[in-house]
Amino acid sequence: MTTQGVCLSIGELSDYWTADVSHDDMERIEGHVFSCSACTELLADVESLRRSIGDVARTGGFQAFVTDSLLNQFARDGVRVRAYAMDAGGSVQCAVWDDDDVLVTRLRADFSGVTAVDAVMRLDTGEEWARASDIPVPEGNREVIMALPAAFVRRAPEVPMRLILRSSAASPEEAPLAEYTFDHRGAHTRRSG
Amino acid sequence: MTIVRAAGTVACMTGPDTAPFVDRPDGDLAREVASAPAGHAAAAEGELYRRFARRIRLFGVRHLHDDMAADDLTQQVMLIAIERLRAGEIRNPDEIGSFILSTSRMVATGLRRTERRREHLQMRIEVGEPVDLPRDERLFDADRIKPCLASLRERERTILLLTYYVERSATEIAVAMSMTAGAVRVARHRAVATMRDCLEARRPA
Repeated sequence: MTTQGVCLSIGELSDYWTADVSHDDMERIEGHVFSCSACTELLADVESLRRSIGDVARTGGFQAFVTDSLLNQFARDGVRVRAYAMDAGGSVQCAVWDDDDVLVTRLRADFSGVTAVDAVMRLDTGEEWARASDIPVPEGNREVIMALPAAFVRRAPEVPMRLILRSSAASPEEAPLAEYTFDHRGAHTRRSG
Repeated sequence: MTIVRAAGTVACMTGPDTAPFVDRPDGDLAREVASAPAGHAAAAEGELYRRFARRIRLFGVRHLHDDMAADDLTQQVMLIAIERLRAGEIRNPDEIGSFILSTSRMVATGLRRTERRREHLQMRIEVGEPVDLPRDERLFDADRIKPCLASLRERERTILLLTYYVERSATEIAVAMSMTAGAVRVARHRAVATMRDCLEARRPA
């Protein structure tokens, strides 16, 4: 077993797999890895993590607020996306089909002066179904894009659900930025022929 | 394990017992190979292969963006390294890592040229699917990845997806998320460390 110099951080090794690493840093990292067994193991772990995240993403197996560039990658990879768009105060009858991978909703609102929002989804009984905090809102954006795995939505109860968006900087007493109603109609099977 | 058996040949075998060499420095292994008659230091050669094949393959995946090309690179570089050691052509065995890295860079450049020629030919000739080779990878299964990804902060999850799935740079992500590129990198480092800890905690017994 050999080690040369100070071992690399997991941050440096994760940068190695991105477009952000400089030529000098790349050579420095490679020079160290080729003389250090421990950093080779860590680099292999990060590579495995990178691939695994890609594999999970390609099946739509995550819940996140995403960007148009990610939706474009879905299109390139053949991920089947069911999309809705809603204005503040809006309501939609929604469902997923058996061949859907991901359900995407464009949540539109006036986000002037807001840099991040929190989202809470509740059933009509008031029970909380999902929550997300500190969702970034780029300046000038008029929507945030929510992606849910279709498999997750298939398991949701067939009842109306209400999604509330609040500025992350707002106090609990302040009015929400926007509310949306999803009249969930369950999961459907496409009939052939 | 695959080791170089004789000049010009690469064979697959379960390999000699490399245990006595596991804790020895790279330089000791290289000296062992260099001082023995050709083909008589199989255990040391096997241990050198075990250590360096993974490094060369990771280097290949990073630079060639192709698993099969990375496998080819690994085979070619290890063949060159063992042959040069056996021939006594590596003056400082303690620098075997540097020699293998510089050889990897040189061979990768050649493979990129070959790939460009192959792509050029493939435009004119229909070729069959390549045969998959066995790989030494530790892919994390979806059942472990998904809950760990879900446990991240919203921003960190989006940053990992944009970095490793969409292959966006920190600068591009910064624009999309109204952050600085530095903040994106810090969040990415934190997210990768959190994911690794979470995956370790969920490692099957």
